[in-house]
Amino acid sequence: MRVIIFTWEFPPRITGQLAYYVNRLAAELVKKNVDVYVVTYNDSWIGFHQGADGIKAYRISDKVRPHINVLTWMLSLNQEAERVAADIYYLVKHEVDLIDVHDWHFVPAAVTLKRALKIPFVFSIDSIEPHRSQNSDTPLSSSIRSMESLGMSEAARILVKSEWMKQELKRHYNTSDNMIEIVSPDAESWIDGILAAYRKRLEAPAN
Amino acid sequence: MDRWDLSGVSEAIGGTCQLNRHLRVVMLSWEFPPRTVGGIAAHLFNLSRELVKLGVETHIVTCDFPGASESEVVNGAHVLRVDSYKTPSPDFATWDSLMNVNMQKEAAALIGSYSGKVDIIHAHDWLVANAAVGLKHVFRIPLATTIHSAEIGRRNGLHTDYERMIHQTENWLAHESWRIVCCSQYMSAQVRWAFGLPEDRVRIIPNGVDVSAYENEFDRAEFRKRFALPEEKIVLFVGRLVYEKGVQFLVSAMPKILSRVNAKFVLVGDGGMRDSLMRQVANMRLAHRIMFTGFLDENILRKLYQIADVCVVPSLYEPFGITALEAMAAKTPLVASNTGGLSEIVEHDFSGTKVFPGNPDSIAWGVTRVLLDPGYANWIKLNAYQRAFRVYDWAKIAKETKEFYEQILKEYGGGSWKPT
Repeated sequence: MRVIIFTWEFPPRITGQLAYYVNRLAAELVKKNVDVYVVTYNDSWIGFHQGADGIKAYRISDKVRPHINVLTWMLSLNQEAERVAADIYYLVKHEVDLIDVHDWHFVPAAVTLKRALKIPFVFSIDSIEPHRSQNSDTPLSSSIRSMESLGMSEAARILVKSEWMKQELKRHYNTSDNMIEIVSPDAESWIDGILAAYRKRLEAPAN
Repeated sequence: MDRWDLSGVSEAIGGTCQLNRHLRVVMLSWEFPPRTVGGIAAHLFNLSRELVKLGVETHIVTCDFPGASESEVVNGAHVLRVDSYKTPSPDFATWDSLMNVNMQKEAAALIGSYSGKVDIIHAHDWLVANAAVGLKHVFRIPLATTIHSAEIGRRNGLHTDYERMIHQTENWLAHESWRIVCCSQYMSAQVRWAFGLPEDRVRIIPNGVDVSAYENEFDRAEFRKRFALPEEKIVLFVGRLVYEKGVQFLVSAMPKILSRVNAKFVLVGDGGMRDSLMRQVANMRLAHRIMFTGFLDENILRKLYQIADVCVVPSLYEPFGITALEAMAAKTPLVASNTGGLSEIVEHDFSGTKVFPGNPDSIAWGVTRVLLDPGYANWIKLNAYQRAFRVYDWAKIAKETKEFYEQILKEYGGGSWKPT
């Protein structure tokens, strides 16, 4: 199995706990013989790097700066994520099984790659805008929420870490029950649960 | 068959057609009629029609518009209108980024439906940069871009982070593009300077004008009554009422012109300077000599060009100067600033009268010269018409655009960056 992970934070760039989580996820997947590519942002350290843990990481940076807000920044950075993912896709002769996109930042790239190259994606949710912005209804917040909605409607599966988040998604986005998979990172069987969710996607008919 | 192998194309379709039979282009633009905000809509409308006539399969992906069909064929070109993101967004540039998410998604599905077999992605201005650059890489299709105007010119410099961001987006798009089209030598020079591009990356293909649109029959005397008294000459200005269009200098030239000719000034268009211009004419006690029409319907505007005695384009900044071309097509004598793209369209004392930009005395001189010398006016307007017909013909422009595509495909075919 070959998986590309999109995340806006990955060590050494750490802004919250997502960086640690994705790092652990990628390392565990490698141990399970998954060919893992991480596409992530870094301000200065860019390009390809494969560490001792076997994770192949591509770090991308802004082609446009300055930016006026987080949206214009992320939405132009998405083209770089697409470029790198397409480069991987052509390098491995189209054999990319899945993209795992963490939070909203690279949802547009995942959606385009799905439409263009028929690579399905799962949407892993760490946090959502209604929580981060205290239900703010500013245009900026609602725009970010619309990116989250786009990800949820286009994803093959949605992965969350707790029953609570599942209920929150249903409450804020009307996400249907059978789209959401709960895999707790604290569980013994965590990585097997992730793999099972990935495989479930692979066995399902393409949407 | 490789899609860049042009020799194989005619073979694949039985050898009956020329190699370009299968050229397939996807254009990205934030406007296409009926959605018309700036000049790109009309540009694409005309260009796509003529490209289709040359056998280029043309697709246009653009923003939706109330009442316009989501998908239709316009003069042979396939138009796909995408959800332009109508939820509130913080500002115009952020809206544009969000619109690009939808545009890229739909264009990806479109190109995907042809299994990626699209020859060229053609972007128009920075407003579609995100979608264009992403699609280029995902499908590995060469990207061509027309830069119609540049932020650094529109704003006369870069003053805020907002403007710098747009400038850098243009820069990014320019550098991601295989080749660039500019409409004048002036714009080509500005683009090469602003983005540090070598000369051979930029090809100059002018804008065009549809001469036949100005050949309709109508009751001129009756139509004229709506704008001026029979004994008044009509001095026409068409453009947004903003600083860089220089309309304030035409208004300043009014007393000097009126001291020698009985004339009515008709200003078509709207903008932030309207109120101050109105105050200016009121203070000069010349309000009865001017008419602010606001925006006009295309058909009325075309007639107005035809009955005007002189058309003045007093711009300070002008990447191209489409209004000058419209006047030339309508056989209206032209007085234009010697600036930007205008100075390339108009040849002094041959296809128009050139005046110094920002100089009311010079404008007055040019206008009175045309109005007081019918022989001269006739000479420049007929030369101008010939020039509009000969140089700025959309069929010719489409042919050059097709050659531009073929040049890119030839280079692309010889390279190694391709889908594998």
